[in-house]
Amino acid sequence: MHRVLSDKKSILLLVLPGLLIYTFAILFPIILSVYLGMTDWSGIGKPNFIGFENFKKIIFTDTTFWKSLRNAILLALAYVFIQHPIALAFAIFIDKVGGKAEKIFRTIFFIPCVIPVVVTSRMWVSLYDPQYGLINKILDFLHLGFLKQQWLGDTRTALISVIIICMWQGFGWALLIYYAGLKGIPEELYEAAKIDGATGVKLYTKITVPLLQPVIKVNFTIAIIYALKQMETVYLTTNGGPGDASQFLANYLYIRAFNSYQYGYANAISVLFVIACLAVNILFQKIFKSENYEF
Amino acid sequence: MLRKTFKLVIPVLIVTAIIIGLFAGIQNNLTASASTKKAIEIKFFSNLPDRTSNQGKLEQMLIDSYMKANPNVKIKVEALQDEPYKQKFKVYVATNQMPDIFMVWGQPSFFMPVMKGGYAAEIKPDQIKDYGFKTSSLKDFMYNGKIYGLPRNTDFMVLYYNKGLFNKYNVKVPTTFAELLNAAKVFRSKGIAPIAINGKDKWILAILYQELVVKESGDQKLIYDAISKKSVSKNQILLKAAKDLVDLVNVGGFQDAFVAADYGAANNLFAQEKAAMYYMGSWEVGMAANPNFSESFKKNVDATYFPIISGGKGKKTDILAWHGGGYAVSASSKVKNEAMKLLLYMMHPTRWAKIGWQQGLVVPGQNWEKFMTGKETVLQKKLTQIFSSATSVSGTVWQDAFTPNFKTEAETLCQMLVAKAITPEKFLAKIEELAKLEVK
Repeated sequence: MHRVLSDKKSILLLVLPGLLIYTFAILFPIILSVYLGMTDWSGIGKPNFIGFENFKKIIFTDTTFWKSLRNAILLALAYVFIQHPIALAFAIFIDKVGGKAEKIFRTIFFIPCVIPVVVTSRMWVSLYDPQYGLINKILDFLHLGFLKQQWLGDTRTALISVIIICMWQGFGWALLIYYAGLKGIPEELYEAAKIDGATGVKLYTKITVPLLQPVIKVNFTIAIIYALKQMETVYLTTNGGPGDASQFLANYLYIRAFNSYQYGYANAISVLFVIACLAVNILFQKIFKSENYEF
Repeated sequence: MLRKTFKLVIPVLIVTAIIIGLFAGIQNNLTASASTKKAIEIKFFSNLPDRTSNQGKLEQMLIDSYMKANPNVKIKVEALQDEPYKQKFKVYVATNQMPDIFMVWGQPSFFMPVMKGGYAAEIKPDQIKDYGFKTSSLKDFMYNGKIYGLPRNTDFMVLYYNKGLFNKYNVKVPTTFAELLNAAKVFRSKGIAPIAINGKDKWILAILYQELVVKESGDQKLIYDAISKKSVSKNQILLKAAKDLVDLVNVGGFQDAFVAADYGAANNLFAQEKAAMYYMGSWEVGMAANPNFSESFKKNVDATYFPIISGGKGKKTDILAWHGGGYAVSASSKVKNEAMKLLLYMMHPTRWAKIGWQQGLVVPGQNWEKFMTGKETVLQKKLTQIFSSATSVSGTVWQDAFTPNFKTEAETLCQMLVAKAITPEKFLAKIEELAKLEVK
């Protein structure tokens, strides 16, 4: 066995299938995308090479591109600073409550994640309806009628409304991962801390959160990637509207490719999109560099 | 012991079921190809998902009767609503998997790239010799002097309204823009949406803007010339029309959150008598005969000219009209001849035009006055009267008259204007920028 694994030729042979699949399924399309980004191809007919024209146009004159990128980053921040703390709090709550209630709550919170995005998006569009939607009706009922808005129809509230939908849809996943992480922390640590006099919030800030670091890091990474590639929810609710108030990068490049017949331009957007994602991720890794606690 | 056998039985049952299913599938395929000799399957791509009313009903009727007359032909219909249709259509084009016969819009922004790329099959003039198509209606389906599609509609914009609601609240049906604004205020105060509109499908907003431009200027060519000459931002008429549109929004002229309402939502709002008016095209003529709508609605629905603007030069008979919907056959279809036969069968004046008109389902692209029976619905009569009284027509609407990107961006700008995200002045400035970019 050792002889086989150390023979260079056999290593190459064993790795080759995987390498081939990677090349054709991932590497080659990316290279093709970079090439198409340097053409003015409309999706039909012949592509004409135009060099870096598209890239220059996007970076220097395309305000919608930057707005979409900004919105995607805002969504990532909302996930990290709003959705995840709430998810962690609920995970801790479910963990503490125990018994049958624990199983019931686990299921309830995870249900939104198994319902198709199309269904939940349509549901939220109905909830947000200014005349017949539940949200405005509840505000009326609570005598808070002055807070009523045309949620998805107003440029001031469209983005935050879409962000809320996204946070609701992904809540179960964040919760589940934190919950699994919590279950991995041994009870003895809590007991030892309690003996040393730690109570309430201190227990969570000094023991739970530090020991959850690897889980938190993974969860944040997933959340940021998910936020940057957000497309389905915005497509199904506002399609970026009104105007481009709630536009996201993936949806914007879809519109450019399939509505505007600007396949080459859309490919250029996607290349810059990949670079932006890499940059955000590297930045994120630097900020959240942490030591691993052993227990 | 029982548990162990139980644990064995379930997987065995599942595997057996799967295997039987597989064989059943194969069996079906074998028998199918054995019994039909020269079975031809035609893929029909339609933008009419409702097969029970309006054009969808007519389309399905003609498809069914063709299949009955030609038992060896099977026509598979795929139908999607407008916006998803356009997107899937582009996927088909990009992946070279065109359906054999498909719906097209005779607008440069949609059909030109298709014709230019050679995706549509040519239709020879003597194939449609006695079909009653006027050259003017074939214009937008032609490229380089060759015909690539046939129009199925005469499209023109009207203001549908609900007689019952106007009578109930004692409101006069508006003939001027000022009256329209007042009517909007009254309806709003009674909890009725004044005009139902699908703001999410931005194209309707661009059409409404052009309507206001025509009513202000009386000149159908003004908007096209301004864009071609790239002199938009200084044009006072275009500015006034933009301000008129914002006035209509400010007085609450549309339903709440109209910017997020799609075609179905706006149509339903009007059909459920929760909106007093509906700015839409003649293709909705079938509303008066739609079995899915209430009798009360069908009795109350009526149509009129869009109001004139006092002080403006446009007459009520200067209408926005064009030939939008049509059909084409794929140039690369494996059953091209059969698909062409189907197209010519459907578009024969005694079928699409005659049946479509007499059943109140469509305003055909061919002359329909010779098919009038006298038993037309109110909408049919009104629409015929409006169209035949037209003193000028627009042709393809402005946003569709240039490039696909012009269409996307111009429509988005219209949506931003009505959402008050940009001022009328900024709107014009951006249209001019767009014109400089897109119009050669």
